[in-house]
This record gives sequence, C-alpha cells and structure tokens, in this order.
Amino acid sequence: MDITFIKRLITTSIGRKAVMAVSGLLLGGFMLVHLAENLLLFRGEAAFNGWVELLLSNPVTPLLEIALLFIFLAHIVTGVWVRIEDFMNAPRGYEARKWQGGRTIGSATMLYTAAAILAYLVYHLLTFRFVDHSMGFYQMVTGAFRAPLFVAIYIAGAAALALHLSHGMQSAFQTLGVNHPKYTPFIKIGGMLVAVSMLGFALISVYFLLNIDLKTAEAGYQVVVIR
Amino acid sequence: MKLDANIPAGPIEKKWDSHKFNLKLVNPSNRRKYDILVVGSGLAGASAAASLGELGYNVKVFTLHDSPRRAHSIAAQGGINAAKNYPNDGDSVWRLFHDTVKGGDYRAREANVYRLAQISGSIIDHCAAIGVPFAREYGGLLANRSFGGAQLSRTFYARGQTGQQLLLGAYSAMMRQVAAGTVTVMPRREMMDIVVKGGRARGITVRNLVTGDIESHSGHAVLLCTGGYANVFYLSTNAASCNVSAAWAAYKRGAGFANPCFTQIHPTCIPRSGEHQSKLTLMSESLRNDGRVWVPKAKGDKRPPNEIPDEERDYFLERRYPAFGNLVPRDIASRAAKTVVDAGCGVGPSGQSVYLDFRDSIKRKGADKIKEEYGNLFDMYYQITDENGYKAPMRIYPAPHYTMGGLWVDYNLMTTIPGLFALGEANFSDHGANRLGASALMQGLADGFFIAPATVPGYLGATKFDAATTLDKEFTDSARESQDRLGRLLSIKGRKTPSELHRQLGNVMWHDVGMGRTEATLKKALKKIPEIREEFWKDLCLTGADRDMNQALEKALKVADFLEFSELFVRDALERKESCGGHFREESCTAEGEARRDDAHFSHASVWEYQGEGKEAALHKEPLAFEHIKMAERSYK
Amino acid sequence: MKKNKHFTVTVRVWRQDGPREPGKMVSYRVKDVSPDMSFLEMLDVLNDELMKKGEHAIAFESDCREGICGSCGLVVNGNVHGPDEHSTVCQLHMRRFRDGDVITVEPWRVKTFPVLKDLVVDRSALDRVMTAGGFVSVNTGAAPDANATPVEKDRAEEAMDAAACIGCGACVAACPNGSAMLFTGAKISQLALLPQGAPERRLRALNMVAAMDKEGFGNCTNEYECEAVCPKDVKVANIARMNREFLLANLLSKR
Repeated sequence: MDITFIKRLITTSIGRKAVMAVSGLLLGGFMLVHLAENLLLFRGEAAFNGWVELLLSNPVTPLLEIALLFIFLAHIVTGVWVRIEDFMNAPRGYEARKWQGGRTIGSATMLYTAAAILAYLVYHLLTFRFVDHSMGFYQMVTGAFRAPLFVAIYIAGAAALALHLSHGMQSAFQTLGVNHPKYTPFIKIGGMLVAVSMLGFALISVYFLLNIDLKTAEAGYQVVVIR
Repeated sequence: MKLDANIPAGPIEKKWDSHKFNLKLVNPSNRRKYDILVVGSGLAGASAAASLGELGYNVKVFTLHDSPRRAHSIAAQGGINAAKNYPNDGDSVWRLFHDTVKGGDYRAREANVYRLAQISGSIIDHCAAIGVPFAREYGGLLANRSFGGAQLSRTFYARGQTGQQLLLGAYSAMMRQVAAGTVTVMPRREMMDIVVKGGRARGITVRNLVTGDIESHSGHAVLLCTGGYANVFYLSTNAASCNVSAAWAAYKRGAGFANPCFTQIHPTCIPRSGEHQSKLTLMSESLRNDGRVWVPKAKGDKRPPNEIPDEERDYFLERRYPAFGNLVPRDIASRAAKTVVDAGCGVGPSGQSVYLDFRDSIKRKGADKIKEEYGNLFDMYYQITDENGYKAPMRIYPAPHYTMGGLWVDYNLMTTIPGLFALGEANFSDHGANRLGASALMQGLADGFFIAPATVPGYLGATKFDAATTLDKEFTDSARESQDRLGRLLSIKGRKTPSELHRQLGNVMWHDVGMGRTEATLKKALKKIPEIREEFWKDLCLTGADRDMNQALEKALKVADFLEFSELFVRDALERKESCGGHFREESCTAEGEARRDDAHFSHASVWEYQGEGKEAALHKEPLAFEHIKMAERSYK
Repeated sequence: MKKNKHFTVTVRVWRQDGPREPGKMVSYRVKDVSPDMSFLEMLDVLNDELMKKGEHAIAFESDCREGICGSCGLVVNGNVHGPDEHSTVCQLHMRRFRDGDVITVEPWRVKTFPVLKDLVVDRSALDRVMTAGGFVSVNTGAAPDANATPVEKDRAEEAMDAAACIGCGACVAACPNGSAMLFTGAKISQLALLPQGAPERRLRALNMVAAMDKEGFGNCTNEYECEAVCPKDVKVANIARMNREFLLANLLSKR
C-alpha cells in the first residue's frame, strides 16, 4: 500500500496549502450556515429554539461537531505551518521595500485576523457552547446581545472574520487551481460577498442591542444598561 | 597552415548524407569515456551539449553567466528560417540555399549552405517537439512571416521573442541532460586559453568569476560556441559580455581566423542619445514588414514628422529598390540610411537617424493589429526614448549587430586545430559577407543540434588519443600565463578605465571601419589602434583583486583582446579591395552607389594565421567555387 | 522638445565584499546625470569614478540591457526592478528621477539567493528547479513533422505568455514569503498547455514542486506581489495551473 499521495498533502508546499484551502472553504461554508441559523432569531423565540432543539436531537450532530473540530485543527495546523515556513523564507533586510500592487489589507493581515478569530472562537465557545443552556437558546443569545461590551467583541470577531475571508475565499480557489479568466472575476466577487456577509453577524447583534432598547423605552420601563 | 575544407564528394544534395555515413561512430558504451568541453551556452552551445549528452558523451559546459539561460541568443527577436514551404509560396531547400548564398553576396561555401538549408526543417520539428511555443494559425498549424531579403514567408516565430524561446528550448534540453548526469554546467567561468597538446585541442583554462581562481579542464574535444565580436565597435546591439576573447585565444594557439571584416550593421536600431550610452537596442527588422522608412526630402527639415506631407518625404528604400522596398537585406537598408544621413537629411536631435513610420499600416490594419504584432517593440521604444511610436514615427539608425567572420572551420566545423570546433556565430559560418534575417538562429541550432553531434563523434572515433591530465605541462603553463596576464593588468594602475579605452576603440572602428570603408580611413585606423593599445597597457585604471569577483578586470581582459583583434579586422578590410555584403569599400561601387564585388580577385575566404606577438599575421585563402549558383550582381531593385 | 537638463543624485548602495562578509549601505553622489541615461548607465558612470579614486567598483549584474536576458535585478527605492511597471531595472531611465533625489539600491534579499558581492546574488536555485523537470524528454532527431501536432492558437498564446519568463528572480525577491511559485508555475504551465509537454506533465509537476521545496523557497499565500513586479507580466493563473497540475498528479498518477 503506497501512501505517498497522502504524505504529499503534508510534506509538500502545495499539499499543505491544499489542506488549508479545503478546510478553509468548508469553514467558510459552515459560517454561512451558521449565519442562516442566526437569522432565525428574527423569526422569534419559538422558531429559533425549535431549530436548535431539532439540531441537538439529531444523532449525527455530535459527529458533525467532531468533524468540524478536525477541520478547524487542520486549518490551524497547516496555516501555522505555512506561516512559520514563510516567516523562515521571507526576504530579510530590505531597507525600503514597498508593496507594488499585489498585497491587500486582507492578505497582509491574515495571520492577525486568524489569531483574532481563534481568540474570539474560544470566547464564543466559553460564552455560548460551554454554559448552562437551561434558560433557552433564544434568551441566552438575545440576552448576551443586550450587553454592549459583548456586542463590541462580537462585532470585532465578525470584522476579523470578514477581513480574513476577503482574502481567504478567492485564495482558496487559487490554491486549488481554480483560476480562469472568465470565471475568476465571479469567484473574487463571490468570495468578497461571503466575506461581507460575515458582517451580518454583527448586524444581528446590533439589531438586538438597539431593538431591545427601543422596545423597553416604548413600554415605559426604566432602561437597564449593562455596563 | 593547410586549409582543407573536407567537402565530401558527390552531388550537393547527397553530400551530407554520404558524409554522415562515412564518419566514424563511437560505440554507445564507450561514449561516456570521452569528455567534451563546450564553451558558451547560447543556441549553438546549449543545443550541442544537449545532443551530445543524449548520445552519451560526458559533456562539460562553461558559461560566463550565472545561468546558461542568459546567453545573448536570448535577445534575437524576429524569427528562424526554415525551408518548410508551409505557406505554399514556392519555398524549397534549393531556394533557401540560393537565397542564403545570394544574400551573403557569394562569399559562403556552397556545400555548407546547402546542408544548412537541408537541416532547417528538422530544427523546426525538433524545437516544436521540445515545447517551443511558436506562433500558430487558428487551425493549429505553425504561422510564418516574411523577413528582409526574401520574397516569401519562411520565418517561424514566437512573438518578438523567438531567440528567447529557442534558447530556453535548447537550455531545457541541456538541463534534462544535467539531470541525466551526462552534462555538467560550470557557470560563471570565463575561458582564458585553449590548451593544445600533441597538436590537438585537449583542454581549456578558465577563470572562476566568483573566486577569481584559474582552473584547468581537460577533454578530448573543445567546442567554442562563444558568439560574435560586434562589441569591437563598443556600441552594438550585443550584450555587454559578448567578446572575441575565446576566439582570439584560439587564434593565438593556431586556429585560422576567417573574414574578420565581415560584420553586419543592422538597420532598425534605436539611435544613440549621448556619450554615456552603453549599448544600442535593436528592434526586430520584422518592423519593416509594416513600417515605411523615410526622411524629409529637404535637408535639415526640422518640422515634426506628422507635419511633413507625403510629397515632401523621401521613402528612399521604396524609391531605390522598388521590388523589395522596405524589405531589402540588412546591409543594403543600412547603407541607404547612411547615404541619406550623410546627405544631411537625417532626423532627430543629432540628425543621425531616419523615420520608421507605421501611419499607413495603422490606417490599413488598425492600431490593434499592429499592437498585437509589434506591441512589445513599441513598448521598448517608448521605454528607451520616451516617444510614442503609434502617434509619431519611430526614429531608427543602423548599429553593429552580427559578425559573419569568425574562426575558420571545415565542413566538420573543425578549426585548423584538430579537436577544436567552432559553432554558431563564433565560426566564419554560412552567411558569407552578409547574413539574412532569421538565419542566425537557424545556423546556431543546425550546428549544435545536428552537425556537431555527427562530426565531433566522427573526430573522436577516428582519433587515437594520448593521455592528458590537467597536471601536464601544457595545462600548467597555460594556467600560469593566464594568471600572469591578470597580474599585468592589475599592476598598471593608470588613469583610464576599461570602458573609456573601449569607447575610444569603438569610435575609431565606427567612424573609420564602419558602414563605409576606404583605404584612407582604414590606414588611419591602423595607425590609431596601436596607439590606443599602447595607452591601454600604460594607463589602464583598475581596482580590486584577481582572486575575487572583479567585473572591471573581466572587462579589461575583453578590451585587451579587442585592441589586438581590431587590427586584424582592419587589415582584413584593407586587404579586401572589393565591396561585398556588409563590407563596403567606397572605392568599389557602381555609378548608382551600389556595392560592386570583384569576383576575379576576391572570391575566397581570407584566413589569417597568427605568427607570434608583434608579428604580422599571415594571410591564406580558401577559394570559393560556385558550381550550383550562378554568381550575379546582387540586385533587389 | 524635451528638456535635457543634467542633474545630481545621491545613490545609497548595498556594499558587501563576499558571501560571508557583513554588508552596509554606502552613499555616493553622482553628478551630471542625463535624463536619457539608463539607471545602469548611471551606475557605470559612478563605477568609473570610483575606480579613478582607487575604490572598488560596485558589482552588479546586467548583460543584454534590453530586458530579456534576466541578468539584472535590483531593488530601487524599495521597488523590485524599479518603479516602472512590468520592466527590468536595465530599462529604467534616469528621467524617472529629479535633481537631488536620494536613491536606495539593494540586491534581492532572499535566503535562496545568497549575496555573492555587493548587488550580485546567486540564483542557481532556479536552474536546479528547471533541471528537475522543466523540459520535454525528446531526443534530437526523433521529432515528427512540426505540423503533425496542431495546437489551438489560444492555447499556444497562453503557453507563450507563460514561457515569456526571463528567470530574473524578481518574483522571489518581491514575494513576502520568498516563494518561487510564479517561476516554477510558468514553466509547468507552458509545458502542460502544449500537447508536446503533455505526456510527462504529471511527473513534471511532482518533480519540479519537490525540487522547489527542497531549495527552500517559501510557500505561496496568493498575495500576487510576484505578478505585480514581473517584468514579463507572467500571470498568477500559472500558479493556479501548477497547483492543479500538482494536485491532480498526486491524485491520479501512479506515483
């Protein structure tokens, strides 16, 4: 049994990047699904909680969760590896190197946005995943969105993600060899749309932050601001 | 010196085949025991190394560049000729043979030229097979274009970068042999000397350009693929490192040097802009397919070109040569430009240029089409001159470009030193007194891919070799002499840099030995050159060390050789009291100012033999017989 | 008519005696610069002056000086091959500069191209990548008639676009990661696009990528600085094609 072809995915530059690209695309897809789920918040408590209950009662879900974990790990490990390698091989000592038109803010900050996303992910899991869910998911989420500080962190996370994907989406296609003069412009626009849509997370949180304030104001209750 | 061209007997169509049959072969298992040293990695060198490597010989390739891919063949733009007759316009081996002999003004060896035309088709086949991206028609077949000196389309091309693509093809074939272990590339090595032992070329002395070390390499045959010497004019279209040094070292070891005065001045170059200029840039002569060459009829007309109406323009090539028009061969186009400039009709700030105008073809074909065909040349022109060739005519002027002269070789491409071969532009070649456009690439690859791989083994198979190692006296002597030479140059400590002295020599060569030569100017040059040489050895300014990377020292070595070689060049020009091809003696022309050959006295190759330091070279003549092509006045009217 | 006023500039040049010596930037004034001079001609003038003062000339590479041999390569004021788009530094002219300008001149600074002296670097790693598979394995004399294999015109043009690479190494010097993927991708592309190169395309992709990795070139993060500085405008689509060729070769070939 020859496993060279599997080894090459780890041992070669292009192999590692392909793993990073495939896992990145899968994660991007996951984020779109996640966003669609969050949009259910607008349909009210019953709809949102109903969907979450359905998801949790499905026996496949834990398996998907484990798969997701591995995809994350693959993306992080190959990403860090490629970065270390690139750091080792990067040009050294230019006094005045100017970027000449290829680099974008998104591409230049991939490492930083990646770190921010990872940090946010940990925070996100600690605040939503590994907590007591007895109050109900809808209450938990909208309750959190009532805290400006939480919303601020949430917005920062979404922004980092959007910036990361602004380079990452089209980059993944390029890495997997999908580049064609006719279709690449669409891929670039599509990637950008996915990236921008990540700001949807931020909008939802802001909506709830402001909405709740409005409602409480209308009802004549004392406004409670959590500092 | 005995000049035996070794032309095989039999009808001209059969000569090469019967010769290949008669050449000795080397058993495949014995081939790796033969070491072949190839100097130079251009079209000829790389293709010879690749083919000899494929056959199983042990090949070492030396290049003064950091990579073999940088050789100056890379700069050839227009294309490569082949008698394929794909366009069905009446081409044949016989016609290419005829055009080349006629284009060379009947100063080439018939048998060699016929073989070149015969092989031309195989070159295209092979290059296409190794991945050269030639231009194609929509049907997927190869495209052809016409070129100066021909009335049909037989030129294959890859945009304006044909030389680059062919060189990279030959280079890749050679690198494949590096992977196979038959070829070793020794980059950044400059050849200093040929080592002759027992009357045969058995090795070379080189200088490692990074460490400065002198190295000796031994072998069974040495192939000089070291290009031409147009840089003797200082300003030429050649790359900075093109030189005569390797050929000159061979000459000094006993190889005959043939027709040194045959140089080609290319008509479509960007004119010079000032004293600082280090090189002239050529634009492919394919531009003459669509560009029209003209000057104002009135002397000193300073109006912008677009304001000069047609009736006040002199389209001098179309006027003088109605049959070929702007597509006359290079020597004729260049001289015609010189004539109008000398008459005071030149244009540009210095008056030393003529217009090349695309106005009419842009009108006829559209700017897009012109851009597609010549875009890179227009860009290049803009980059150098800051002028837009689409809006106003470009300015061009002739510049030294190619040298038809070189080491004398027989039919086997072997010089007068047994075991020393010369390929490509380095030999005195198949182009006679003038080379047709798109024929240099053809010759370099014919020599390298097909001829040397047959004749070099023929020599190896027929020769009993004595042992030779780099410890032999001949090698150590050569290494010591080379080292001493470096020491002498570095010890002068004068005030003039190698470039300044080179420029001085170039001025003499361009003005007195350039496009028009007379007995008086040649004699003047013969007086001036030794003066510059003397100045060089008294007043050369060099810094740095010999055991180090030292580009100024490299340059000084080249200039030193040019200063010796140029004298031979001028003597050859003086000796040849006729006009032929690129060699124009103003005393020898028709009433209309066209070149006039003197077949009765000069139908020969002039071969010069070194007689020792400070002694005049001896002249030998290889008579040229024309059995198949009738000698006629070369007319393009 | 253009103004041809001569002017003075200061050049700050990287000077380094040898591969293992430390280097430093040194400033020189160059007077009487003509706007029609090329940048390298300005360095020629400076070198002649330095030698006359008994100093060592600045080592830098160039040969054809018409942008095709790939010998030259400098970082001028932080720009790889100078500020002009898609050109080599030998095509840069002094009319791009003004009187009193300070011009910083540096060599390619990547680990895979060690400095040999001053501005001269060793780019032989690129030759070794070529040796691993940048060819078509056809011996001289074995080829069929050139027109026996038709090639779609657009494909031939695309192959030519890739083949235009001059091997100067600017892509590596400009890449934030010191990657040689544009160089390698261009050759793999050229030969994958042509039917003549197709029989060994899989092996070629595997071998050339392995050789590229072995030389220690960095990975590609698709930032496209290489494309931005490439003097021959070689496109990053060639990198995508290399990725495709490599990944497919890995999946589908028997190796």
